Amino acid sequence: MSLRVRAGDFFGFLGPNGAGKTTTINAVVGLARLNAGSIRVFGYDSVTQWREARRFIGLAPQEYNFDRYLSIRDILIYQAGYFGIRARDVRERADMLLERFGLASKAKLDYLKLSGGQKRRLTLARALINTPKLLILDEPTAGVDVELRLELWELLQQLNREGMTIFLTTHYLEEAEMLCRDVGIIRAGKLVAQEPMRELLERKGKGLQEVFLELTRSGPAELV
Amino acid sequence: MNYVGMFTLMKREMVRSLKIINQVIWPPMITTALYVFVFGVALGSRVKAPHGLSYSVFLIPGLIMLQVIDSSYGECSSSVFQARFMNWIQEMLVAPMSAYEIVFGYISGSIVRALLIACLIMGLGFALVHTLPRDWLLYFGVIIDVGLLFSALGVIFGLMAEKFDHLAVLTTFAITPLVFVGSAFTPAQFLPPSILRFEYFNPMFYAIDAFRYSYTSASYLPLWLSLSVITGLAALCLGIALSMAVVGYKLRA
Repeated sequence: MSLRVRAGDFFGFLGPNGAGKTTTINAVVGLARLNAGSIRVFGYDSVTQWREARRFIGLAPQEYNFDRYLSIRDILIYQAGYFGIRARDVRERADMLLERFGLASKAKLDYLKLSGGQKRRLTLARALINTPKLLILDEPTAGVDVELRLELWELLQQLNREGMTIFLTTHYLEEAEMLCRDVGIIRAGKLVAQEPMRELLERKGKGLQEVFLELTRSGPAELV
Repeated sequence: MNYVGMFTLMKREMVRSLKIINQVIWPPMITTALYVFVFGVALGSRVKAPHGLSYSVFLIPGLIMLQVIDSSYGECSSSVFQARFMNWIQEMLVAPMSAYEIVFGYISGSIVRALLIACLIMGLGFALVHTLPRDWLLYFGVIIDVGLLFSALGVIFGLMAEKFDHLAVLTTFAITPLVFVGSAFTPAQFLPPSILRFEYFNPMFYAIDAFRYSYTSASYLPLWLSLSVITGLAALCLGIALSMAVVGYKLRA
C-alpha cells in the first residue's frame, strides 16, 4: 500500500471492519512492527528516526486506555511527560485543554467518573497535549450522541483550520464526507481509492456510501 | 535519551504505590512487626543466633530483605501486567520513549518503593529491638542490587503473564519458599549440612547473607561472593527484560 497524506490535510481513511485501518495506524505510531516498506512522518522515518517521528503525532485510539491511577488532569500531564515535556511546562496547556473540552470541573476526578462522551473528549485532549502536527483519530465519534458528535466535528475542523493535519478513520460515511478533503479507501489491506473526496464523488457520480460499497464489496478490486 | 519520560514513569509508579498504600506499604510493616513479636520477642530468647547476637537483631535484616524482594517483584510484575492488560502501556509506546527508558522507568519506581519500605522497617526495627545498620553504603547498595534483580524479574513475568494468576506463580512457588529457607529466620550455621548444600543454589541466601552484613558486620559467606552472585543474576535478568522490551514482546503487534 502506498499512501500519502499532505501536511494540513483532513484525510479520511475508510474501510470495512478488518480491512486494516487500525493496523495501518498502529504501524504509523509504532504499535505494530513493520515487516517491509517504510513510513515517513513529516520526513522522518518511523523506524530509524522513530523518536523525531513520534513527537509530531497525537493519537486518539478507538478504545479508552487511560491510566487508572491518575486523575484526569494528571492523565494529560503524565502523557506530556512521556513525550519529554516537563510538568511545569505543560500544566497551563493541560488546563487550557480541559477547559476547551469542558472537563475543567472534573480535573481532579478519576476518569471512571466520566460519561462516555466525556471520556471521548479526554481521549482527544490527551492526544493534543504534546501539541502534535498530525492528529490520528481512530473512530473518534463511535458511540457518542449526536450533540457531542457535532461538537467534535466543529472542534476537529477548527484544529484543521489552525494547520493541524488530521487522519481520521470512521464508519460514519456522512462524517467523512462532511469533514474530509481527501479520502483513502482500504479493502483487505489494499488501498482501492485515494483522491480528493469531491473528485471521487463527481467521477463516480454517486454518494460516498454507494462508492464505498462499490469499492469494498467482495470480488477483484481495482488497486490504486 | 528521554530522561523526562523515564522520570515521569518512575513518578507514576510512586503515585500508584501511594494510591494502593493499604496493599503495598502497610502490610509489610504489620507483617514485620508480627514476625518480630512472635519470633523475636516471644520465642527469640530460646533461639541462639551466631556472633553473640540476640535473635531479634539477627531477624531484622532478614525481614527487611524479605519485604524488599517481595515488593520489588510485586511492584514491577503487577504494574507492567496491568498496563498491558488495561492497554494504558500504549501511552508510553506511542511516545518517544525507548524500550530501555520504559524498563528503567518501571525498575527505578520499584526500587524507590523497596527503599521506602526498607527504611520504614528499619525504623520499626530500631523502635522494637534498638538495632540500626552499621554499614550504610552496603545497606543501600544491597537493597538497590536486590531490588534491581527482582524488579527485572517482575518486568519479565509482567510481560509474559496472560492473567493475574500467572504473576503469583513465582511468588508462591519460588520467592516465598526460597526466602524462608534462605536464612531469613534460621542462621545458616545451624542448618544441617544436607540442607546447607542446597542453599548455594538459592539466590535469596546470598541476598540475605550480604544484607545481614550491613547490620552485623558478619556473614556466613564471603561478602564478595554474595555480592557477585546477586549482581550477576541482576545483570542477567535485566538483560532478559530489556531484550523482551526491545523486541516488543507482547507489547507491539
